[in-house]
Amino acid sequence: MFSPCSISSPSSHAQSPKPKAQSPIIMNNISLFTFTSPADLILEIPSNAQNQAWIESQNFSNSASCYQAYMSKLCLLAAQQAKLSPSTSALPSLWELVNGCSITISDGTKFVLVPTEDIDLSELRVLQEWVDIPSFAGDYYLGVQVQPDEGFVRVWGYCTHAQLKNNSNYDAVFRTYSLDSEDITTDLSVLTLAREFCTQEITRSEIPPLANLTLEQAQNLISRLGNPQVITPQLEVPFSIWGALIERLSYRNSLYERRLGLPEQWAVMDWLQNGGSQIAEQFGWGSSNLEVSTAGVRSVEQSQKNLFRQITIAEQQYILSIIPQSEAEGIIWRFELRNAATDGLIPSGFKLKLLGEDLQAFPNNEDIATSSVQQLFVEVMLEPGEGIIWEVEPIPENYDREILRF
Amino acid sequence: MHSRNNIVEIFSTFLQFDADRFRGWTTDAKLRRSMHGCIEQIPQETSDNFWALYWYKLWNSRSNRIAQEHLLAYLQECCYWASAKAANTFANIQYNLSDCFQIAIAKFEKVLKGFDVNSGYRLKSYASASFGSTIRDTLRQRHEVDICSVWGLLRKTSQKRLVESLRELGLSEDTITSHVIVWNCFKTVYVPTQVSSTRQLPRPDEKTLSAISQAYGLQTSSTIESQTVVTVLLMCAASIRKYLYPTVTSDIVPVGGEDSFSYLDNLASNEESLLNQIIATEEEQTKVSQQSEINTVLASAIRQLDAQNRQILHLYYAEGLTQQQIAKQLEVKQYTVSRRLSKTKQTLLRSFAKWSQEKMHISLTSNLLETTSTVMEEWLQSYCS
Repeated sequence: MFSPCSISSPSSHAQSPKPKAQSPIIMNNISLFTFTSPADLILEIPSNAQNQAWIESQNFSNSASCYQAYMSKLCLLAAQQAKLSPSTSALPSLWELVNGCSITISDGTKFVLVPTEDIDLSELRVLQEWVDIPSFAGDYYLGVQVQPDEGFVRVWGYCTHAQLKNNSNYDAVFRTYSLDSEDITTDLSVLTLAREFCTQEITRSEIPPLANLTLEQAQNLISRLGNPQVITPQLEVPFSIWGALIERLSYRNSLYERRLGLPEQWAVMDWLQNGGSQIAEQFGWGSSNLEVSTAGVRSVEQSQKNLFRQITIAEQQYILSIIPQSEAEGIIWRFELRNAATDGLIPSGFKLKLLGEDLQAFPNNEDIATSSVQQLFVEVMLEPGEGIIWEVEPIPENYDREILRF
Repeated sequence: MHSRNNIVEIFSTFLQFDADRFRGWTTDAKLRRSMHGCIEQIPQETSDNFWALYWYKLWNSRSNRIAQEHLLAYLQECCYWASAKAANTFANIQYNLSDCFQIAIAKFEKVLKGFDVNSGYRLKSYASASFGSTIRDTLRQRHEVDICSVWGLLRKTSQKRLVESLRELGLSEDTITSHVIVWNCFKTVYVPTQVSSTRQLPRPDEKTLSAISQAYGLQTSSTIESQTVVTVLLMCAASIRKYLYPTVTSDIVPVGGEDSFSYLDNLASNEESLLNQIIATEEEQTKVSQQSEINTVLASAIRQLDAQNRQILHLYYAEGLTQQQIAKQLEVKQYTVSRRLSKTKQTLLRSFAKWSQEKMHISLTSNLLETTSTVMEEWLQSYCS
């Protein structure tokens, strides 16, 4: 795998044990645990996971992005340990561009993890992306002090979105919101109890709308900001444009691929020919042979494959498949939604819908279940290189719009 | 140390150390006059808590300077005891009582800002716990800063702290802004190249330095030499260290102008509503603190803990062991101790929350929970020992 990142070879770290801290003070057996209070939430990072996180943080266009991915990953590792489940968002393309990550728990409350290495903890500084992009914004922002040298992270305090919007200082040069530590709640037991007992407290504040980008504008931006020499692409264009660009997963992925000099990764033809790709798998797409799953569909030459992914709606599993069918005029692409259980149905009211990459609808682009049905399907013929976005209603868990390139 | 009993002394005298020893109380003449004046006007009020509330409300509503000084005098003892405890806990890292006292009293304003006067708790209880956590946090920071290389330290400092330290040096705002940009470019360009070596980050090489000056050029459309980058960064690091180890001056005893308390003449006529407020608050506090019920609630919550959690509480609060020492004694991991303690604290806070909602019909806010949690530290301290 192409790895343009200048960080030193990961293999040496994978083998070697975690280096011991050299300071004589540490050897005197004083660690930061000496100074912790019962209000602190401290989570251990298992050392093999730490090494793994390092190795997995190599595929970025520059070392700063690699490092911010590493920090964010350590945060996430520790959060998982705290029994919170992360939403599967497209993390690599995110960490190429911003620091941090978010987790949404079962009741819909969203926590944004803000990694920091600061010793002084005198402020919580949050990137504007996490505050002003609607789908990024969270209810609570947790300051996470990452201690790579000692192998743990400490959740040092939290605040709400409303506090960040209303009481913080906005730094227009670096586009960050910062809240003084005096306004941060450093006692983590308060968070749990406030969510339980103070349900009247408002966590979110209003966000001004982002720009409306046309496909052409987006493509121009991607080619301009896709240059990896631009270290801080987020500061190159006005925020409402930047925010609109990276909020859309497909644009963000293109930007990520461009900055890393990767070939187009969302090419469905390639996936089918090569039996998938890393990116495809990362986003849940697998491939299988046609005869297995699609009896009733006209058979095509030899071992034609199809693509499928699992989606979850209201705790039920469904399978979305893309099945190529060769016709005289070219390939017809059949998008098909079925219940994952063999005799399961698609409930009434479900909708499968295809859109062009500019989000434009076209004739016969959707299929709606007016009663429980076995399957929903839409068939399209596409020009080579054309992009398609799929949507399902009700919206599946962790859904992110993706552009499939044909 | 001998405690002060006289109400005038409590609000007008300051602790004196002789090396690490308590030497005595020195009186601030201006504060004594001010206190005498007040007592003459309201002689019936003799509780220290009444006057603490009085000065707190004045400080809070008008950021009154003399009120702040009275409170500083008032909280001397509380700071002394918090320092004595910390000096005992952290004895192995060579911080003595007067060091701890200096650290804590320097952050005295943080105590005032953090206190929620409507919470029903006494300022004194809140201050004890707050001083304790200030000392602990400052020692943690010093410890960490001491084991960082210059370059590691620069990565591990917040922008706010950097700006504050540079201001302390007396630099102009323009210079500070440009230093902050250099520092930001440094942080963006120069990152650790090993899994866990952020503290001992070595000096950046020439290539990295020129990348930093290039990044600076892009951001500001002006140029900076690599050598200047180094100079600026070293200066930033030095100021950050200095900020954490301020030179100890003798200005713990405040010096304020005489003019600052001319309002006292009007005390009786204009301050009636203030006085009523204080009396109401004090009644509320008495009500809360006399609620033996709250003690019963917490005590029964503690009894319901399992044996090991109770033992951890005892070791931490009564014996004053650090979490590390407890881990060693119980042969468990430090994380386990840390997590158990926070879990226990949460359990206790929850029983308080339930009780105040169901029995007292208090509508809870995050602020009140936070204050309660702080004060609970103090409560656990006395309950366990």
